[in-house]
Amino acid sequence: MHSSASSTPPASASRRLQLASLLRERWDLVALGLLAIAPLVIPALGGALGGQVTTLFIYCILALGLNVMVGYTGLVHLGIAAFFGIGAYSMAILTVPMYPFQMGFAAAAVISTLLAAGVGLALGAPTLRLRGDYLAIVTLGFGEVVKVTLRNLEQITGGMKGLNPVPPPGAGVTLGGVDLGMAFAIDPRYFYYLSLIVLAGVVVAMRRLENSRLGRAWVAVREDELAASAMGISATRVKLSAFAMSSAVAGLAGCLYAASLSTTADPNAYDFNRSIMMLCAVILGGLGSIPGTLLGVAILVGFDTVLAPWADSWIQQMNINPTGSSLLSFSGWRLALFGLALVLVMRFRPAGLVPSRRLAAELHEGQT
Amino acid sequence: MKLKPLFSKAANAAAIRAASSGTPLLDVDRLSVRFGGLVAVSELDLDVAQGSIVSLIGPNGAGKTTAFNCISGIYAPSAGSVRFEGRRLERSFAASTFWGAMGVGLLTGLLFAAAAVDVDRLWLAVIKRGMITGEPFTIAGAQARLRGYFRAELAIDQMAGKWRVVSADGLDVLAIKRNLADANSLRDDLQAAVTARRTGPGTVPDTSDLADVAQKIPGQSSVLPVKEDVLDRLAAGKARIRRRGWLGLFAGWILGTAGTIAVWQRGRRSAHVVAQAGISRTFQNIRLFSTMTVLENVLVGLDRSIPGGVFGMLFRSPTNRRGEKAAREQAIEALKFVGLAAEGNRIAGQLPYGDQRRLEIARAVATGARLILLDEPAAGMNPSETGELAGLVERIRDRGVTVLLIEHHMNVVMRVSDRVAVLDHGVKIAEGTPAEVKRNEKVIEAYLGPDA
Repeated sequence: MHSSASSTPPASASRRLQLASLLRERWDLVALGLLAIAPLVIPALGGALGGQVTTLFIYCILALGLNVMVGYTGLVHLGIAAFFGIGAYSMAILTVPMYPFQMGFAAAAVISTLLAAGVGLALGAPTLRLRGDYLAIVTLGFGEVVKVTLRNLEQITGGMKGLNPVPPPGAGVTLGGVDLGMAFAIDPRYFYYLSLIVLAGVVVAMRRLENSRLGRAWVAVREDELAASAMGISATRVKLSAFAMSSAVAGLAGCLYAASLSTTADPNAYDFNRSIMMLCAVILGGLGSIPGTLLGVAILVGFDTVLAPWADSWIQQMNINPTGSSLLSFSGWRLALFGLALVLVMRFRPAGLVPSRRLAAELHEGQT
Repeated sequence: MKLKPLFSKAANAAAIRAASSGTPLLDVDRLSVRFGGLVAVSELDLDVAQGSIVSLIGPNGAGKTTAFNCISGIYAPSAGSVRFEGRRLERSFAASTFWGAMGVGLLTGLLFAAAAVDVDRLWLAVIKRGMITGEPFTIAGAQARLRGYFRAELAIDQMAGKWRVVSADGLDVLAIKRNLADANSLRDDLQAAVTARRTGPGTVPDTSDLADVAQKIPGQSSVLPVKEDVLDRLAAGKARIRRRGWLGLFAGWILGTAGTIAVWQRGRRSAHVVAQAGISRTFQNIRLFSTMTVLENVLVGLDRSIPGGVFGMLFRSPTNRRGEKAAREQAIEALKFVGLAAEGNRIAGQLPYGDQRRLEIARAVATGARLILLDEPAAGMNPSETGELAGLVERIRDRGVTVLLIEHHMNVVMRVSDRVAVLDHGVKIAEGTPAEVKRNEKVIEAYLGPDA
């Protein structure tokens, strides 16, 4: 309608315009549709690639959790991986055959998510009166404390060995002649769909929160804490809720991570690098922006877990690097490319790749 | 144009009662604020009657905004009190405060105790041990093992296909056996020896116990030499750990409870408590949520009128949806009230200056406050805008909302005020009707200097 009103552009241009507006308005449904069809079309997703993409989805959930704190509420959080780890380990403790609990996947996921939220509250309550850098240092320290604790509580967490095997969801459940547990263990597409569904659920939840009382209070506290409290909003309570929500979503991601790997891996999987990677993804994509966060993770983590291994194996296949020089391997340049990408984004799109509606408006204001 | 009152019937009744009994809506009593050696406000007395407009004027630096910050809970007064509707604006010590502090204390205590009793070993003794020997996990069994951990009872453990008799915490290995039955019977014997030491008269170490044990199982080379001091230690149990655990629980509990109460005490009179009691304000240097839309800014003011917790918001419960819808309508009405209804979807930071001031007023009005503090609402406005603003202040009063105003534009002050208080160097030098204040010599001197 919009294009027909203007001076009759060529049909192809009009179609392109329609496609562009469709992508802008309904990017979520388009992306969900494409990702849902992908495993049926691309056979590689039934193999190792499927597992890698599943991990990507899980990191997307983790980054969305971090976005609540860093993006909406404006609190720097450098220890999100700790809550990822707490989710993963409590999932494992509640399900592994070595311990007497041996719960089902759903029950364990709910409990682990709540536990992560509880730990978030317990950390937040005494520290949220700190501002800016100080809070960043506390969260950074907490991340390290959790990692070391997980390593040292050997009887509980298995120390450096981690806990395994974490049974797949639906273990022992037969549905229509298919043993779900076996299916999950053999075919990565099951986990692909499970994490895609959870990711979609988290996106919907985040959107609803964004446009609700709590979401507005988060942004209000970020914008002007004093003005918000003069409106009767308890800044401490609002920040605590952001901390709890962030931790809960990170914990949920951790549950999926442990279940999809069928092990918690060792505590070093939940270290500072992971936290920083997630923070970079959120900043790169656009603080407070859901599509931005997803894109940021897709680029940063996708580069790491999907593109780099693929490029490395390609280089090996083409026999470009017969001497095995690290200068000629793709993953050797990983961090350099990563840094370069961040510098370029900060130079050319300081509000992120897909800035949130609010930040975009602010920038627009600056330009006019 | 008339808004539904947001405040409850009870609060309304309290306000009416206060008005009829002659107590002012806001009663500032000998309020002093000192910053180090500097006295910003000194012994300020101010009464604001229900339904009136009171102005606070004075030269720059007279302490007007400081007084505002004190009333709205941003600063704590050094002395004196502020009463609103007859009560101090403080959070009261409710039952939930008490139980909250107790809960935090208990959690802290448990954390401390867990660290003190070595939670890792406790986990091994209580949770893992039963799984190793293959017995079904029961709550009663776990409880028994929990007691056993602190009494250092003996347990069976499996390692590399052999059965070991170990202390409950897994630190002492007393014997290794090829099959479970042997290990079990040995464990029982050793346990008996330990128990005899625990309960025996005088608890004198009796070496014959150990000798008995050795005689019962002759020729068993795999029996580790169970030294007396090991048995003594086992008999003594984990007395030290037990003591440490109790100490940790207690210390953590005290620390957690005291800390929670200290934090509560400090936040007793914070800005949001005052705002929730029914006082709202605007700021001298505009403080909008500048990246939010105009409508959202007002909705933040309506935050507390929307029911439903996190799950209500996540699942869009009917209550939450209705609340959001009602709040939206109220916000639009508040915007209409100040004349910004058409700008609802604009970003607040992009509004012209005068509109930003009016948006701040709309936000304050929307909170349903019964007293609104306006800090220089006409600053930077031209004469026609100031005229409009004076009209707006009067319309706020007509809604039954009391207004306390700081303003430098004398035409606004003289037009709208019922009473005017004049502050100079933190001291109230005059108070009365606009006409009285205008004639007051002290006021003229403060504004124009002693020679004028």
